[in-house]
Formats: sequence, C-alpha cells, structure tokens
Amino acid sequence: MSDDAVVLHAADDVATLLRALPAGSKASTRTPTGTIVLTLCADIPRCHKVAVRALAAGAPVRKYGAVIGALTAAVDPGDHVHVHNLSSLRGRDWHDG
Amino acid sequence: MSDGFLGYVRPDGRVGTRNHLLVLSVTGLTGPSARRVAATLRGAVFAGTPYHGGMIGTDRDLHRRTLAGLAGHPNCGAVLVLGADPPVVEEVAAAARAAGTPVEAVALDDCGHDALTLVDVAIRRGAGLLKALSRQRRVAVPLSGLVLGLECGRSDPSSGLVANPVIGMVSDAVVAAGGVSILGETVEWTGAEDRLAARATDPALGGAIVAAVLRREALAVAAGVDLTGTNPGATNIAGGLSTIEEKSLGAVAKSGTASVAGLLATAERPARPGLHVMDAPAYAPESLTSFAAAGATLMLFATGVGNSFGAALAPTLKITANPDTAARLPTQIDVSLAAVFTGEETLHDGAARLLAAVRDTASGATTFAEIFGDGEDAFSRLGESL
Repeated sequence: MSDDAVVLHAADDVATLLRALPAGSKASTRTPTGTIVLTLCADIPRCHKVAVRALAAGAPVRKYGAVIGALTAAVDPGDHVHVHNLSSLRGRDWHDG
Repeated sequence: MSDGFLGYVRPDGRVGTRNHLLVLSVTGLTGPSARRVAATLRGAVFAGTPYHGGMIGTDRDLHRRTLAGLAGHPNCGAVLVLGADPPVVEEVAAAARAAGTPVEAVALDDCGHDALTLVDVAIRRGAGLLKALSRQRRVAVPLSGLVLGLECGRSDPSSGLVANPVIGMVSDAVVAAGGVSILGETVEWTGAEDRLAARATDPALGGAIVAAVLRREALAVAAGVDLTGTNPGATNIAGGLSTIEEKSLGAVAKSGTASVAGLLATAERPARPGLHVMDAPAYAPESLTSFAAAGATLMLFATGVGNSFGAALAPTLKITANPDTAARLPTQIDVSLAAVFTGEETLHDGAARLLAAVRDTASGATTFAEIFGDGEDAFSRLGESL
C-alpha cells in the first residue's frame, strides 16, 4: 500500500500530500516514527500541506525541522496550511522596507 | 569494493572518477583552436574561457582560480593547456604540475602566432598524453575519496519534497565517510540561512554564511530585482510552496543534516573534508564550473520538469522525483525517485538506490549528459574588462 502524504522531520507541524485528495479523505501519512492517518478537512492539491496537530493563530509552523512561517489563523489536524493562513517571517522585511 | 568505489588515485592523493585528457584554453583567442584539438582527439574534453585580456582585480583573481582548479582536477589523467601568452599558459600549467598531472603547454606566441601550427603541435602532444594516460587504472578506494557537487535546476514541488531530501541523505553518507560535499547557489539559501548558520561548526562561520546571503540579496535589491515577487512565485504557490523559507529549505535539503565545515568563495577548493557551502551563482553552467574548479568529481543534479545540462569534467547524475518527468525523459534522467514520490518506496530506500548509483557512476558507469556531451564550463565574471 502506498502513502498519501509524508512528514519529513519528527518535529514538523505539517504533512505534505503526495497526491491530490478530496475533503474527508483518510490520508495515510508516513512519518519518521511510523505511519499515521490524517482526515483532510478540505480538498488538498498535490504537494500542498495539512496540519498534523492543532495550532493557534500566531504559532510557528515547522517543516524540514525548521520554521517556515507563522499561522495567521488557528488550525486543526487535517486543515490546509498555505498562503491563506501562513505568513513568511523572512519576507516581511522586504515588504516593510 | 565493499562500500567505496573504483577510482583513479592521483599523485596528490585526490581521487578521480574519470580519466580525461583536458584541453584547456586559457584565453578566448585560442578557444576555436582548442575545440578543434579536442574534437580530433578521442577521449579529450574541452574547457575554455572566452575571456582573458583586460581583466582586473577580484574578477581576474576568480578567473585564475577557476583555471587553476580545472587544470589540477582529479578527473584529468593529463592536461593540454593552450593559450596566447607563454607566461599565462605557464601559470595554468603549473597548477596541473602541482597536482602531479602530466601536462603539455602550447602558446600561440611560440607558434609564430599561427593558429594552425598551434593546432598541429597540440594534437601531436595531446596524442602522446592520451597514450600515456590510457595506462592508468582504477583501484578500490573508500567513499571518502568522493567530492560531491549538489545542484538543482528547473525545480518543482517534487524537488523539495523528495529529490533534494534524498540527495541530502546521500550527501550525509559521503560526509560521514570522510568525503566532501559542496552546496552552492547562494540565492537559494535566502530564508534558510539561519538554519544553515546553525549547522556551522563555529559561530563565526555561521555569521559569514548569513552575511553571504544578505550580500547577494542586497545585490538583487540594488539592481531592482524583486526577490519577493518570485520567491515563491505564482507557479511555486500553485505547486504548494507557501513561503520563501519553505522554498529555500527545500533547496537546502540537498545538503542533508551534516554540520557545515566551511564557507567557500566561488571556485575555491575546500581545505578540509566535510560539507561546505559555496557562495556562488545559481545558474547551472556557472555553478557546476565553480564546483569543478573546487575539485568536485561527481555532481548530483535534481530537476523537477527536466534539465539536460551536466558538468563537462565530472559525471552528473540527473535525478527527478516527478513521475511525469521520469516517464517523459528516459534518455535524460539517470536516477528516478518517482517511486518515493508516489509513496511506494521510502526516502531511505530511495537514498540507498541513489548511493548505489553514485558508487557505480564514480566507478565508471556513464551518465546521459556524458553520452550526449551536454555540458560546457562557464566562467563567472565579477566586473568589466578594461
């Protein structure tokens, strides 16, 4: 059986989908410590991210074991995490300047 | 050959994965002649700069460093240095000599300024060099003999998700064995520089890594290049990349998890084993030339949608995790990681396969870029000529 999604590092907050799946799908997700199942809260395109745990607005989001941005809204496991609710911490400098 | 490869051990102790006759033109004035010579001699690889005269300062220093690095490259069984001015030719030939590489040097000035005479003399000398280097033999060497160059081009979401992390695992394996691995393309560290700096073996090095990224970013800003508009751009966003940190971390994933042992200038040869990051352009021809000048003997090149370019002096393994690309380009992709992307294979399985391909290729198995001759060195410039 093949995986639907992958979590790259044990500390990551998001899983990345290996294939597009509709809302309600049970995504078989490979993590460094084993396989988990994530229920998708929306239609998720291939290579997009979903949260693996509940996180508050303003929380840092980790992928590759490092912070890739901060949430602008709270998320539940299986929620789509992308430009609509994830803000760069690095890119802000340029916008301000 | 337990877990190493079969390589050519050179007089200076470095190991080659190939045994080329390098025909190296040190000035654009002898470029066409050098190509003629290389085309006549089977087993010859051409490299040459279109520049020389009027170069000054750090621009000129980089040029000399690049030429010296190529002339002394471990993948060369011999070198034929061609140029116009004898002192310039001699300086580059000295770099080959310092590596213990058999070398012949021919200058236009010594041929009565006759390019046809230069070609004639060079062909005859090159033939002798080829006859001699053909007697060299591969021997079993440990994995620590490898110097990897890490590259990506025409990336897509599969690159940061699968291809680059798998390359990172192989890089870690080579570094753990005592070898060298080099990550370049500074502009692609933007947003991940703190992460790279945190892996540096000392804080001063970490600070230098951050400074290198900020300097290149300032170059872009000063030239009116809008990095925010393209990082991530509309295609990246549609493909799933949300922030520049995520995009750059995906690129930097090629470097694995090893500590960063040094920051190299463009085309600078590392002084110690380990993972190094090189402050260099992202454009593949310049990036690969910089790695080669630093002594990289095998390149790992990840692509998303496809990219046929490889290094001329070092075998370049073209790698993709995109199933469509692997299916569409069977005579370009050397290693497909599509099975990892579709979830049929784990990242670790993919890394084991890629490491096996690395050892195989280092030992003489060919690559598509070599089969098609799809690569040529590009010498980076830093300024104007007088």
